[in-house]
Amino acid sequence: MTDLLRIGQNWLAGKLKTHASQSVTYKRDSAEAELQATIGRSTYQQDDGEGIITRSQVRDFLIDTSDLVSSSIGSLPRRGDRIHQSDGENTIVYEVMSLGGEPPWRFSDPFRLKLRIHTKQIDTISP
Amino acid sequence: MTTILQIADSVTAQLNAATLSQTFEAERLYVPNFDLEDMKELRVSVVPREVQFLPMDRSLSRYHGKIDIAVQKKFSDGDNVEIDPLVGLVEEIADTFRLKRLDSLVAARCIEVENSVLYSTEHWEQLRQFTSLLTMTFELAK
Repeated sequence: MTDLLRIGQNWLAGKLKTHASQSVTYKRDSAEAELQATIGRSTYQQDDGEGIITRSQVRDFLIDTSDLVSSSIGSLPRRGDRIHQSDGENTIVYEVMSLGGEPPWRFSDPFRLKLRIHTKQIDTISP
Repeated sequence: MTTILQIADSVTAQLNAATLSQTFEAERLYVPNFDLEDMKELRVSVVPREVQFLPMDRSLSRYHGKIDIAVQKKFSDGDNVEIDPLVGLVEEIADTFRLKRLDSLVAARCIEVENSVLYSTEHWEQLRQFTSLLTMTFELAK
């Protein structure tokens, strides 16, 4: 039987990638891959541990599961992976890590077509 | 200057003058408040925390000033090779003060050192950052 929901989700995922994404560099150790990513959410977060506060820019990247798995990275996201995103002349570096009580990533749809990857900004590389 | 701030400043100065396994510039702060981006460098913060007056005799009190020392650094892998030196540094800092008098405030003696947060699992998980907290109690008659 045809799964209309899956077809629809697939179509939507394709549209997001074609019309609402930008190129980012996904890095793990020495491996890296150029992938198309949609910015899912961008907020500012403050973590307070024993009165010691660390602030961070939080950003979710939505990446096609098949793009990441079939790239030179070759598997699902891991804590500590890094995503480099160009911002004018600068490159912003984000690191994959947990967000609140959530794990560092999850599938963003029931068909596992896209990954929602939680990251925090850890560096800005200026030319 | 108030006694607790004198203690905190003395601790900061002594940390900056000490020869330890890692180099850093300790700062006295009320609330350590940093951006994750700034945590690539090792940060050591000295924070005045609590003051207690306990009875000593009819005219004097035993003054207990508690100082927190936070040791923080963003790690990349979080493996033993990267973290062990940081845990070692925390112990070195504790040993610098444990049962000793402060160089620039000799009336104050460190009577207790606690490392109740050897490393914050919350910061480890949420920020991939090493955060350790030492609490030292300095006693003097006042």
